[in-house]
Amino acid sequence: MNIGTPYENFPGEARVALTPESARHLRKLGYDCLVEAGAGKAAGFSDDAYRVAGVTVVESAAALYAQSDIVAKVRPPEASEVDRLRSGQTLISFFYPVQNRDLLEAAKARGVNVIAMDMVPRISRAQKMDALSSMANIAGYRAVIEAGNNFGRFFTGQVTAAGKVPPAKVLVIGAGVAGLAAIGTATSLGAITYAFDVRPEVAEQIESMGAEFVYLDFADQAADGAATGGYAAPSSPEFREKQLQKFRELAPQIDIVITTALIPGRDAPKLWLADMVAMMKPGSVIIDLAAERGGNCDLTVADQRVVSDNGVIVIGYTDFPSRMATQASTLYSTNIRHMMADLTPGKDGKLVHNMEDDVIRGSTVTFEGAIAYPPPPPKIQAIAAQKPKEKPKELTQEEKRAAETAAFKAQTRNQGLLLVAGTALLLLVGAYAPASFMNHFVVFTLACFVGFQVIWNVSHSLHTPLMAVTNAVSGIVILGALLQIGSGNWLVVVLAALSVLIATVNIVGGFLVTRRMLAMFQKS
Amino acid sequence: MTIGIVSAAYIAAAVLFILSLGGLSGQESAKRAVWYGIVGMGLAVIATVFGPGVGNWFIIAVMIAGGSVLGYYVASRVQMTEMPQLVAALHSFVGLAAVFIGFNAHIEAARIALLDQPARAALEGFAGILAHKTPVELAIMKVEVFLGVFIGAVTFTGSVIAFGKLAGRVDGKAKKLPGGHVLNAGAAILSLILLVMYAGGSGVWMLVLMTLLAFFIGYHLIMGIGGADMPVVVSMLNSYSGWAATAIGFTLGNDLLIVTGALVGSSGAILSYIMCKAMNRSFLSVILGGFGSMTGPAMEITGEQVAIDADGVAAALNDADSVVIVPGYGMAVAQAQQSVSELTRKLRAAGKTVRFAIHPVAGRLPGHMNVLLAEAKVPYDIVLEMDEINDDFPTTDVAIVIGSNDIVNPAAQEDPNSPIAGMPVLEVWKAKQVFVSKRGQGTGYSGIENPLFFKDNTRMFYGDAKKSIDQLLPQIG
Repeated sequence: MNIGTPYENFPGEARVALTPESARHLRKLGYDCLVEAGAGKAAGFSDDAYRVAGVTVVESAAALYAQSDIVAKVRPPEASEVDRLRSGQTLISFFYPVQNRDLLEAAKARGVNVIAMDMVPRISRAQKMDALSSMANIAGYRAVIEAGNNFGRFFTGQVTAAGKVPPAKVLVIGAGVAGLAAIGTATSLGAITYAFDVRPEVAEQIESMGAEFVYLDFADQAADGAATGGYAAPSSPEFREKQLQKFRELAPQIDIVITTALIPGRDAPKLWLADMVAMMKPGSVIIDLAAERGGNCDLTVADQRVVSDNGVIVIGYTDFPSRMATQASTLYSTNIRHMMADLTPGKDGKLVHNMEDDVIRGSTVTFEGAIAYPPPPPKIQAIAAQKPKEKPKELTQEEKRAAETAAFKAQTRNQGLLLVAGTALLLLVGAYAPASFMNHFVVFTLACFVGFQVIWNVSHSLHTPLMAVTNAVSGIVILGALLQIGSGNWLVVVLAALSVLIATVNIVGGFLVTRRMLAMFQKS
Repeated sequence: MTIGIVSAAYIAAAVLFILSLGGLSGQESAKRAVWYGIVGMGLAVIATVFGPGVGNWFIIAVMIAGGSVLGYYVASRVQMTEMPQLVAALHSFVGLAAVFIGFNAHIEAARIALLDQPARAALEGFAGILAHKTPVELAIMKVEVFLGVFIGAVTFTGSVIAFGKLAGRVDGKAKKLPGGHVLNAGAAILSLILLVMYAGGSGVWMLVLMTLLAFFIGYHLIMGIGGADMPVVVSMLNSYSGWAATAIGFTLGNDLLIVTGALVGSSGAILSYIMCKAMNRSFLSVILGGFGSMTGPAMEITGEQVAIDADGVAAALNDADSVVIVPGYGMAVAQAQQSVSELTRKLRAAGKTVRFAIHPVAGRLPGHMNVLLAEAKVPYDIVLEMDEINDDFPTTDVAIVIGSNDIVNPAAQEDPNSPIAGMPVLEVWKAKQVFVSKRGQGTGYSGIENPLFFKDNTRMFYGDAKKSIDQLLPQIG
């Protein structure tokens, strides 16, 4: 079958759904790849590069749609593109079925099977095709770079001959994929980074990226994100009030704010209000990654850079991934190729649209002339519900010491009791047994003692050689047989001779095999 | 040689044996220590052969020569994967020898009892020792003989069955005759009654009858223990063979035998203890066979087992920085250790950190995996124990589980109703990705479902371990 990738018509869109590298992988799956001339130019992939990778370059979009069984693109199709699709064709792209109801109807009417890359369920198995995460990752990185571009100071603090430079303070609101990427980028540039999220369970992730989690002292903490598939849920008015109060507290000292707060299926919540912007220092920068959905900041204007009255720069670009088209295309095309791999279980270039598969079912929005959105809940929970963590009780120094002494005392008592019992037993034996027996008994007891002390030190990895060597050593019973073999009784001689034979096998076999084993242990 | 020189040689031998076992605390010192053992044994045997009261040198020479040839043959031919069988077989030899020697002691004692006073005085060697014993000492000796034969006989049949199970000649599943442990207990009590009768002066038949009973106990006890508990069984038999030697030493009044037997006995006992601890089970529950009863329904396992092919595993390995390999008995069965070693070499050559995680009860013998990996030339400093590596799994990119099951079962920690709840396990599921090389779906020996196989970050790499790894090799690097 053929996979075709058209030129993206949307103004300013530089990404492309197929790269020469992903085409190579798709060909391994048995597909032939087509690309519209110039489709990859803005992302830095020339038509020649595609040709080298074995991709057929098609001159017009019409021809591409006509020849392709599967169309892979980035943006949701525009009206003109929908018209080119035909029944039975498969379209893989971002689709946003909630916002694009009309488009969904149109696709259904044309009988196209649409797989929406934005609908890939958030389960571990599907992470490799989670295009939203790959794009969010880029957006987070780019947000910091964009902020740096507009920010007039260093990120990292320096002490130079020309004076001391304080480090920039960055606040990231919303620690989703974009937020975490922004945190990572900002900290690696040297900024002091704070991060806030309504989901308390992400505190650990935030701290692992090197930022400081802004704690809210709120008794009724926000609901666990696990219930909503890892996304944030709207918060209560009281919580919101508390949150804004905290932001007001922070606003005067923060140089760069990056907001990424989104709630699925709603407008972006307003979190950075006009009065907070007014409290910020001139030259500070706000990057609003939620601009497309109305923005987290009061002043945000989508796709524009605005400067507030007090000189704070508010950036509301919505095309961060497209601004890094090469990287974005590479990641997106990889997501597409993983999706294709799941759709091609036989690796024979035959697309199998298995509606039983959680991931494929979840991302399919129209199938065989019917709307398949919304999908049934996935069989696998996205994220295990967080168990309330119990803090281990911190013991004070005195308590620790007391516990140690108690344990030591108990140990001493046990040892003492054992020794007393053992001695009593020995005395009992000694009272009745003859002296010759007691001599041997002393030897026996001491030998057991030495044995226990010695064997505890044997390294675990040498337990097999230990067994082999004890095999050999226990061949010492040969001594008994040797002592008896001189007897005058023929039966005794025969039995003793047999014992000598098998004990020798033990001795020789045991030692030799131990040597063989030990010789194998080599250091690297 | 006088008795004094013989005693001196025995003391030297005992010290050498202790050094030999103590040297096993490190890989390098162990190589030297094994020589101590050999020299000690040589000293002891030579001193005894040329000591007072030993005759029939021709037979001794023939037997020692024959035994050496056999021992050499076995030691040089045995595959490292067959080590558990070999160890079990050697235990059975000690047990059998102990039985023979015990019977000999009885026969000699009976013979000497019939001799008159001047003839007794003329005896030397073992017969001489017997001849000079007082009646009380003789009674004690009878108990010692009885114990020696009993332990020896249990060790003998037990080891033979263990050998059969390990070599696959006897079905590895736990089997019991109707009546189960009541039979064993009955036989043990009967043996005790026989002991009283034998010590009271009844004849050799008591000894013979007891030997048969002990043979039965050894057989039945080990038949009732399943394949995965074999590490405990083998170390337990190891311990028994030591105690058998000790009992013989008491009978013969030979201190070297007592010392050596006690060393071996305590060594086996400690190994059994370590193994039991690693399975979070009491020694008694292992010996009584079978896993403990379930206390409630097992936790529901959600998810599905997802298979993966060699390409996928190779890609993940090429992307990974740190890899931990967890080998189990399945690796030994598939003889995959050479392929695993080659894989390790290639990954290390590509600059990746590769380490091995060894659970104390992996395989069928304590330390079995270490020996297999050493044979395949995996350097021992990257082969780590459970406690050393368990904390590192969260920072590991790829964990590969090769032919192990229960020792990586998260149910031990997550499901209090699981039969293995509380057993220390290797926490492989904390790694970013886990690949499980396994022959097919199924629960393996213990019959316990393994939730690991259903985890989101686990992929099942079905197929024979050796073939699977060999498929990976060309794609690495």
